[in-house]
Amino acid sequence: MKPEEESHGTRYRTYVLVWVGLVILTGTTLSVAGMALGGWTILIALAIAGTKSGLVLNYFMHLRSERLLIFKVIIPLVMAVFLVFILLTFSDLAFRGGVK
Amino acid sequence: MALMILRSLNIMDEAREAVFEETREDTSAKLGMWLFILSELLLFGGMFILYSAYRYKDPVNFHHASRQLEILLGTLNTIILLTSSLCVAASITALRKGERRLSMVLLMATIALGLLFLGNKGFEWGGKIEHGIYPNSPTLLARAKGEILFFGLYYVMTGLHGLHVLVGVCILSVMLILIDKNRLNQMRFIPLENAGLYWHLVDIIWIFLYPLFYLIT
Repeated sequence: MKPEEESHGTRYRTYVLVWVGLVILTGTTLSVAGMALGGWTILIALAIAGTKSGLVLNYFMHLRSERLLIFKVIIPLVMAVFLVFILLTFSDLAFRGGVK
Repeated sequence: MALMILRSLNIMDEAREAVFEETREDTSAKLGMWLFILSELLLFGGMFILYSAYRYKDPVNFHHASRQLEILLGTLNTIILLTSSLCVAASITALRKGERRLSMVLLMATIALGLLFLGNKGFEWGGKIEHGIYPNSPTLLARAKGEILFFGLYYVMTGLHGLHVLVGVCILSVMLILIDKNRLNQMRFIPLENAGLYWHLVDIIWIFLYPLFYLIT
């Protein structure tokens, strides 16, 4: 939806709904942390944090209603760079032999 | 970043049609803000990688150290920041609708919540320091290496984040004054929007800090 098409009244309601969603996700991440799920816990926690960021980026920060292409590619681009950093660091850490 | 917001103010001093549609200058101001935000994400990203690397090396002690943090305080601060994000987003909408009073009240609520967050953080840090847990303290140095690293990262990352909250509170206060002086209004709201973007960034960083520091099992 283009920004000018979106009425301001709708915006207030959208914001409150997004906020409710964020609070529910916070509750979810809190209760999942209490369960013994082993290695899944951290993955679930990160997935929930990612979803929450997505909500903030798209609705509060209006990425969803930006029309220019640059706003659409900018976040995935930075995430891709970040992923390269992570992969390089962990490929080093995982295959580092002997030396402590 | 303050410079960026000031620049966006100046840009808008230039001739502007009395329509609410976004101009090219608005877009550039916002894009500048986004570039800054992305550089901030990579700054914190580097620290998240450092955290992950050490946690990968010593998960047990990270778990032990994490259990000493107050989950309740962390959760409370999460809700506080999420609510403040809602307030600032609504404040921008209010300003765009021309509801100046409402916009100012919402902005004041955002600032108050930001200060509350810092108060909680200070309380939490105070408690830890009272127990002798702070970087280089004898109590902490006597513990396992993983715990020392965890608390070092905890202080640096939440400290840097707290600094961002403090800066955000200052910027939002300036915005409040500008709205009061009618320097920001229905037709000139981009500086407030950019300040809002910064505030949401601070929120997003906390969204990741919260599970990584408080909820390790």
